[in-house]
Amino acid sequence: MVMQSLEIRRSSASVWGIPSGIRTLPTVSKYIDTSTCIGCKACEVACQEWNDLRPVQTTQTGTYQTMPTLHPEFWNLIRFNEQNYDGGIAWIMRKDQCMHCDDPGCLAACPAPGAIVQYANGIVDVNQDLCIGCGYCESGCPFDVPRFHATTGKMAKCTLCVDRTTVGLEPACVKACPTGCLQFGTKDDMVVLGNQRVAQLQSAGYKNAALYNPAGVGGTGVVTVLAHGNHLDWYSLPADPHVPILTRLWKHVVRPLGMVAIAGAVIGAFGHFTKFGRKEVPGSGDSGVQPPPA
Amino acid sequence: MSATPTVGHRPVDLAVVAARDRENVIVGNEIVRHRRASRLIHWSVSLTFFVCLFSGMPIWSPIFGWMAAFFGGLSAARVVHPWAGIAFFLFSAVMFFHWLGEMRFLPSERDWLGPKALEYMRYEGDDSEVGKYNGGQKLFFFATALGALGLLLSGLLMWWPSAFPRVVLQLSYLIHDVAFIAFAIAIVFHIYLGTAAEPGTFGAMTRGTVTRGWARLHHPKWYRDVSGDDGSRRG
Repeated sequence: MVMQSLEIRRSSASVWGIPSGIRTLPTVSKYIDTSTCIGCKACEVACQEWNDLRPVQTTQTGTYQTMPTLHPEFWNLIRFNEQNYDGGIAWIMRKDQCMHCDDPGCLAACPAPGAIVQYANGIVDVNQDLCIGCGYCESGCPFDVPRFHATTGKMAKCTLCVDRTTVGLEPACVKACPTGCLQFGTKDDMVVLGNQRVAQLQSAGYKNAALYNPAGVGGTGVVTVLAHGNHLDWYSLPADPHVPILTRLWKHVVRPLGMVAIAGAVIGAFGHFTKFGRKEVPGSGDSGVQPPPA
Repeated sequence: MSATPTVGHRPVDLAVVAARDRENVIVGNEIVRHRRASRLIHWSVSLTFFVCLFSGMPIWSPIFGWMAAFFGGLSAARVVHPWAGIAFFLFSAVMFFHWLGEMRFLPSERDWLGPKALEYMRYEGDDSEVGKYNGGQKLFFFATALGALGLLLSGLLMWWPSAFPRVVLQLSYLIHDVAFIAFAIAIVFHIYLGTAAEPGTFGAMTRGTVTRGWARLHHPKWYRDVSGDDGSRRG
């Protein structure tokens, strides 16, 4: 849903989208601490309830994980993973959802003007009115988040509860979290909180603890504390996410060059006509054009 | 020469009648170049191409967003485009096999990729051995066939984005774009040569016929084959 009351920082397939600066909207962020997540899935339920998403039939894969992957009607998934660690087991629970990138690949790939917007506060949202359901955003997202909803024919993903956050409420998942491992606030505050927690984890023996806020996409609107920051694969997180180079090549090189080339062909044809004119049939007044029927 | 044949009081246009189902025959001062079936196939490809063009370009870039109005908006264009693409490919496939037999390259046509095409565009080429289709037309025929195949295969991947890895999709968008750009450039020259640049050519695809003079100028060998006139009597 698009909140008209929020200014737009960036808009798909558009050249406009610079905030006026009349209102000061700090970039917001969600904070996820995987080390204090207990896997209760209250956030999953809260997300389904607030966004009126229906229960989706799942498949049992031998873990506690609700769904194998994100789904057009399931935007918030705790990914469960078990890894051998320090003579025991590290039980990983990572909240998978839209990362609300500062440089969103979905928005870069989207061909429909205004169908994907980034508000002035950094939230990346799909405008259901303008989405044409082409799925280009799926190819642009480095986190494999957007999903095509076959019933609506549109793309669906986490909105960072833009309808709640706009009016000063925290996202539904944060509201429901019983351990405080989910927090919501300005990006600056959440990064400070994350760094504090990382330092705490490191002093507690988790030497590789890290805050996941990848620079390749300009940082994310969802910062994640990882106890095992050297094992991003345990969390199904990409090491260096960025807008795909092929997407950039397609949109910023091939497309403009193609337009110039096609326009050049049209201009070339006109130029040819000016210089060489028609290739007339010579002699005897035969224009090559058939006479009108008798 | 007998009087113009009539049905009732209406004169019969013998060339048009012949062009229903015969090609390469002379009727009066005209030669049938494309029979009705050939023309129908060509215009089916053409029509579906333009539906694809106008439904695809607004998705390609918002600069062409106004084209989506022909279909009732971008969402509708997005629904029309893949189906029009399927129709375009099917007609293109029919056209490919319809004309394949006449499009074999002769050894003398090899250099149409290079200097020959430029000579032709300067109207300086030696066309004396050009049959029904010149090397450029054959090149265009195979290039568009390849383009249609590329557009189909990349388009099918794009139709089901959830079913393929991201990098495959990214590549298919690129291939779809490049194939379209090449196709569009080729079509610009195809239309230009078939209308403004070479008078008398367009009639081959509408009425089905060309004049003897046109055939002698553009496709002399074809003219000799069809007329049995080796040019020795011409003065």
